[in-house]
Amino acid sequence: MSTASDPRDEIVAHLPAMRAFALSLTRNPATADDVVQDAIVKAWANFDKFEPGTNLRAWLFTILRNTYYSLHRKRRREVEDPEGALAGNLSEKPHHDGRLAMHDFRIAFEQLTDEQREALTLVGAEGFSYEEAAATCGCAVGTIKSRVNRARVRLAELMHLDDTNDLEMTDATTLAGLSGKPFA
Amino acid sequence: MEEQIDENLRRVYAQAVEEEVPDRFLRLLDELRKKDRDKGAPEGGADT
Repeated sequence: MSTASDPRDEIVAHLPAMRAFALSLTRNPATADDVVQDAIVKAWANFDKFEPGTNLRAWLFTILRNTYYSLHRKRRREVEDPEGALAGNLSEKPHHDGRLAMHDFRIAFEQLTDEQREALTLVGAEGFSYEEAAATCGCAVGTIKSRVNRARVRLAELMHLDDTNDLEMTDATTLAGLSGKPFA
Repeated sequence: MEEQIDENLRRVYAQAVEEEVPDRFLRLLDELRKKDRDKGAPEGGADT
């Protein structure tokens, strides 16, 4: 095929990551795939704006998150579950082997804000640098850092990691250090 | 604590990444490619 060297053929390699990122944003597989679908169409139509040699995944993620925010900002406000009824599903205590049940983790993760979920996913799961994550989200590096830190602190709270004394790094000072401000 | 959180985060994310990509996305890419070919659009985007 003469299209073998079309750079757009590389999009397919990023589909699994696009779906995973969309899922972490939307928290719903069906919505995630709708967002991915729209993002693919937009990416295809605007591919001339992609600078060859730069990070294609980051570029695709930028389109993906913009799609999510424009499609679901309104709906999100209606559906949002502040401080979550979901929290009731969390098991009372962390597991004694220090490992968290994935189920509990998912529930806790879903209670983070959109901004916290995306920052933590990009940096903690995708391995983006703070700079790449900031470029992807269109915000300052410091903003990404504080979102990541707040996300971790919040997860620790939700998972009751902050009040177990058999873990080393869970005192208030450490948490304050992570969030960059006093931990209340 | 941070390690535990990140380990879980990566596990949950890896599970999602490992999921098989549904055919609808591959078909969509095929359709987009075909549409471009039919339009006779230049390959690989315009050089502006």
